[in-house]
Amino acid sequence: MPGRRAAPPIDHTLCRRCQVTEPAITVRTEPLCAGCFSKYVPTKIVKRMESFRVRHSDPGNERVLLLPLSFGSCSTALLHVLSQQLKGQAEKTGRTGFKLHVLHVDSSDAMAESSLLGKVQERYPEHTFSSCPLSDVLAVDGVRELFQADSSNSEPLNDDGSSRELTLEKLFASLTSPTSRGDILQILLRKLVVNCAKRESCEAILWGHSTTRLAERTLAETAKGRGSSLPWIVADGELLHGVPFYYPMRDLLSKEIASFTSFLEPPLDDVIATEAVKPAVSTKNTTIDDLMKQYFESVEQEYPSIVANVVKTTAKLRATPLHEVETQCELCDVPLDGQAPERSRLCYGCIRTLPQFAG
Amino acid sequence: MPPHLCQLCNTARAQVLRPKNHARICANCFIATFERETAETITSSNLFQPGERIAIGASGGKDSTVLASVLKTLNERHGWGLDLVLLSIDEGITGYRDHSLDAVKRNSVEYDLPLKIVSYEELYGWSMDQVVAQVGKKGNCTYCGVFRRQALDRGAAMLGVAHVVTGHNADDVAETVLMNLLRGDLPRLSRATSIVTSTPRAGQPKASLDGQPAAVSFTNVKRSKPLMYAYEKEIVLYAHHKKLDYFSTECIYSPEAFRGSARTLIKNLERIRPESILDVVRSGVDMAKLVPDADGNCKGACGSRKATEIEVKHDGEEEEEAGGGGCGSGNGQETGGEMAEMEKKLLQDDRAEEEGTETHISMPVKAVNGQRHDGDEKVGPPAAALVGEANGQGHDRHKHPPMSTATTVPIRTKQEKKAGRRSGRDAPPPRQVLGQCERCGYLSSQAVCKACMLLEGLNKARPRTGIEVGSAGG
Ligand SMILES: [Zn+2]
Ligand SMILES: [Zn+2]
Ligand SMILES: [Zn+2]
Ligand SMILES: [Zn+2]
Repeated sequence: MPGRRAAPPIDHTLCRRCQVTEPAITVRTEPLCAGCFSKYVPTKIVKRMESFRVRHSDPGNERVLLLPLSFGSCSTALLHVLSQQLKGQAEKTGRTGFKLHVLHVDSSDAMAESSLLGKVQERYPEHTFSSCPLSDVLAVDGVRELFQADSSNSEPLNDDGSSRELTLEKLFASLTSPTSRGDILQILLRKLVVNCAKRESCEAILWGHSTTRLAERTLAETAKGRGSSLPWIVADGELLHGVPFYYPMRDLLSKEIASFTSFLEPPLDDVIATEAVKPAVSTKNTTIDDLMKQYFESVEQEYPSIVANVVKTTAKLRATPLHEVETQCELCDVPLDGQAPERSRLCYGCIRTLPQFAG
Repeated sequence: MPPHLCQLCNTARAQVLRPKNHARICANCFIATFERETAETITSSNLFQPGERIAIGASGGKDSTVLASVLKTLNERHGWGLDLVLLSIDEGITGYRDHSLDAVKRNSVEYDLPLKIVSYEELYGWSMDQVVAQVGKKGNCTYCGVFRRQALDRGAAMLGVAHVVTGHNADDVAETVLMNLLRGDLPRLSRATSIVTSTPRAGQPKASLDGQPAAVSFTNVKRSKPLMYAYEKEIVLYAHHKKLDYFSTECIYSPEAFRGSARTLIKNLERIRPESILDVVRSGVDMAKLVPDADGNCKGACGSRKATEIEVKHDGEEEEEAGGGGCGSGNGQETGGEMAEMEKKLLQDDRAEEEGTETHISMPVKAVNGQRHDGDEKVGPPAAALVGEANGQGHDRHKHPPMSTATTVPIRTKQEKKAGRRSGRDAPPPRQVLGQCERCGYLSSQAVCKACMLLEGLNKARPRTGIEVGSAGG
């Protein structure tokens, strides 16, 4: 190696990377201009997509990855960056490392969301898109039976869409707290996404969780008595649920992703659903998830490395090898051995949320 | 609206709403339930041996007062034959412990339990008043905190008791779980959730198994937390309904930032879902089984599943924050200090890692090559289990030295050599992050524990007796 050149002195009024433009944002104490920041974010994401590169792909056998899209800034940014990556691959090599199947699960305002889906589809027409209502989860093997446990109702299993809607509504109405409703919503959503990935023969699921979101989940799941599920929640490539999960945005903070979407030209804002602003903390309606979200939103401002460190620490936990697992929770799939009352079908976390179905 | 009746006896008026399960019950049923549940915790985890001598760490506060009362009651009710002693620590600050020690003394009379008060002066040769006279007001809190960590173990050893119980409750444990997640400390998370912990040598087989306490060393003391599944609120209720005599030791100083954050989260969680305190404890216990040990093996979940047999060591760390702490002259730590410090350190680590991968080709190699590395190893005392001094600190994110045999002595730079103290050329390199103090044998992440370091400084200025190694036999 030739001798080191003396580095020119850094001009602190300019972007730390290019030293040409004025900084637009500070990323973990480093001032960056909009251009350099717009490169920084995709670099972090693409680095996490290592195992899906072109050279790992088999030309005759295209890999399809499922991207669940919530229209939030994280999953939308992920879709945008991966679309760019695939375009780059096609230009350079004439083929791509993978294809995307974008799935949206409708869980609330169907009208507003269907118009968003159209816009996204227009902007990224190269991918396959599909959407389904959350109540479809009741058609997934075993789910309906799970919630039938307490049913004194001997209604015939009428399995059309509207009856599913109704069953789901009843289920949510029977849950006693906002925390339980949020918890069950997440689990059902995940079940449906996994089921769809299997049906569409997707090789993996790419979640849009930022490191902030993963830190929130770590503490929230801990508080919900689901500590034993943590190694699966934050690890890349784990297949507790039958299809491996990846978190390509795991090295980025929520606030960085939000800035990224607003810096883009044209901005992503009109394909992102604006989050309803929650009224000031009233603990009556606050969920454990909300609490942790608020907490890490504030920690992220001053102590971003601490947020990232929570996730790195959790990732050090060793999951039980799946081949050693004898029984899994019928609702959330976590191994039951030693983490649940004897002969229970559900783990402690699920029993806490669904005491009426624990039989 | 008519008053609720107790859900258990259906006769008395319900006075207590249990946070744990929302049950509305009367005072008598509550007391009976609290005692039954504590007994279940004790028997299901085999905490005590029949006839065992147990020292109750008594601060005069609510937790240890309730613990003493419950243990006394259960011991008589179930004929456990435990030999219970109250053990209090006196830091030697004029006036500071008077009220709380008075409460302990009254309890000693009321429960007919012998009380032993051990002072820092007896344990370390220095009272806090003397320390302040020596080092001034500033910084004396460090001494107090560090000395307190080992005080219960040393005090128990003086009494010839090999088992200390402390009043840590579910709220304390939950708080510690969240705190250690926030600061990324899995080993401490494990320790906090273990109902029993032991000092380094306690796990080794003892010479006499007949319970003769003659040779209890303070490095040979077991600690346990019989109330770790009890809500703080229920402990207060129990003390109230049993009319227990305790001294409120609300700490007026703000806790350090990580603990403060965790405490606020726990309070909010309790408001959202009261059960979540125990859920955090449960999560912590489950996670502790997934924490890899120094060899990278999983402790509980994989391989042998007997998590209960795993030896968990303690370094007295909890004592620092647990009830009754604080030496009265303020922590002197601005809130946020620890978080800012850790943020800085993590950022530096990240930078170093990034730069390391970018520039490592041009790293100077001269210092390593061609250096004599086999003739001048400094041989330390054989018992000293060393910690990674060589790489700066015993932090588990750093590499552990590779396993090596006598023929493959790791090559070290000059600087490392100066700092490194190997236990002997033939000994395998240290593998555990937590080792023992080479002077006193106490669990320590450094070669010499903080207490010994501080004492060295104090004694240099005014030579007195140091810590006696392993000979504190009553
Ligand atoms: Zn720039
Ligand atoms: Zn479950
Ligand atoms: Zn009653
Ligand atoms: Zn020492």
